[in-house]
Amino acid sequence: MNRDFSLLLLLILFFSVANGFLFATQKLPVDWNGLGVVVGAGLTLALYSFLYRDNPLFRVAEHIFVGVAAAYIFGQYWYPVIYNELLIELFALGAASSNGHGDWLLLIPTTLGILMLTRFSTRFGWMSRIAFGFFFGMGAGFTIPAYLSAFVLKQMEPTLQPLTWSLDGLNLFIILVGVVSVLIYFFFSVEHTGAVGKVSKLGIWFLMISFGASFGYTIMGRLSLLIGRVRFLLDDWLHLM
Amino acid sequence: MIERLLTIDRRVIFLFVFIGVTIPLLSEFRLPVRPTEHVTAIYDKIELLAQQKDAVVLLSFSYGASTEPEMQPMAMALLRHLFSRNVKVVAISLFPEAPGLAQQALETTAEEFDKKYGDDYAFMPYKPGTYSVIINMGQKFLDAFPKDNWGTQTNEIPLTSNITNLTDFDFVLDLAAGDSIEFWWLPFGQEKYNLDFAAGCTAVMAPDLYPFLQSGQMVGLIGGLVGAAEYEILINHPAGASAGMSAQSVTHVIIIIFILLGNAVYLTTRYKERNSRK
Repeated sequence: MNRDFSLLLLLILFFSVANGFLFATQKLPVDWNGLGVVVGAGLTLALYSFLYRDNPLFRVAEHIFVGVAAAYIFGQYWYPVIYNELLIELFALGAASSNGHGDWLLLIPTTLGILMLTRFSTRFGWMSRIAFGFFFGMGAGFTIPAYLSAFVLKQMEPTLQPLTWSLDGLNLFIILVGVVSVLIYFFFSVEHTGAVGKVSKLGIWFLMISFGASFGYTIMGRLSLLIGRVRFLLDDWLHLM
Repeated sequence: MIERLLTIDRRVIFLFVFIGVTIPLLSEFRLPVRPTEHVTAIYDKIELLAQQKDAVVLLSFSYGASTEPEMQPMAMALLRHLFSRNVKVVAISLFPEAPGLAQQALETTAEEFDKKYGDDYAFMPYKPGTYSVIINMGQKFLDAFPKDNWGTQTNEIPLTSNITNLTDFDFVLDLAAGDSIEFWWLPFGQEKYNLDFAAGCTAVMAPDLYPFLQSGQMVGLIGGLVGAAEYEILINHPAGASAGMSAQSVTHVIIIIFILLGNAVYLTTRYKERNSRK
């Protein structure tokens, strides 16, 4: 028996003994809630076991997650959307229908949606272009002006404020220098030598600081997720907190 | 010895991080959390709404189980604040995994403050379509959400019967772990309908959203678990997020030590190699 297999058995043994103790001492209720906590703890441990090495427990937990997530998301699409807002309204099924008669206008978006699925057929795949054409056209029409307004024009306003001798003024000055130097760094029509080279180098520094800030926040985010799971294990499962 | 530190097994680092998380959680060790400007701005906005009669807030849930430890404490803290100040809440989900978590947060906090479904809060089902749902809500709310999460006609629910479109909401909050703040709500909601808008997001997303605070497109921002902890302090209800802050600080120190150690060892090795070549 190699070391990895022994560790795997030890983990399963620890999990079984811990649960037996928790149920026996009634720290975990013997009902669906208690079972939910045990399943959650087991899957958490199985997924974190990957940090040691890839193993069968991790793969089982991973497959369970993919299956459950797919089924849950399908349920969220099926019941409130496809069944509740399409089938009931289209065919006026029972009292749940809002106007008592079929809403035939719903056939238009339904047909467009079904046309998208024809991509799976080599014979009828061309029909999906009708639906894609509609969505691309509509998407571009909605998106371009909205993005220009929200991301370009609205963002230019604070950059173009007058500079003052104050802390706010200093902030504005740093933002202005950052925007200009990064834009020059990404301006490839001029060779980055002399003054342009120096300004573009400053742009690289601004980019590096921004990447550093993003990386710091990423570490913080990932640790928050770990803290959440460890709290669940220590508090909800083991009742140690 | 130094060469061994350079090839240290990554599992040793994992072990240190695990210990750094576990010990502060098990002990009573607490570090102070001070609310920052952008989190306080959201708190102040809700306090202002509380003085207004029948203020209604739209709370959009756009996160799933993978970011639950960061986002759920944020949702709970915001709902506690809203309900404690008698501000009415309409919740929606623009992310398929969100409804379960949204329902849990709404029902737990509504019970704490004795709030009644339909009068004090309402819960709409998941709606696919990303930004087109926001455009639809801007035109006619009832068209976007004809029924609530349990199939009741939206126009028969007292709270939502008088809502015609997005502009009827006094404040819009999006709690997101994806594109919804930056690419859906800001261009198609805030910008189009000039809404008072704020957001809560995962820590990973926060740096990308700071420019929208400076431009005034967002009232405030709650970023990650630390943002949630700050909000818990503001409402004087320390809960899940606050408990995790000491663990967060200790693990940050551990990671900083490893980064400094790694760099020091690397520079020492390089210095030695250069000297040996001479």
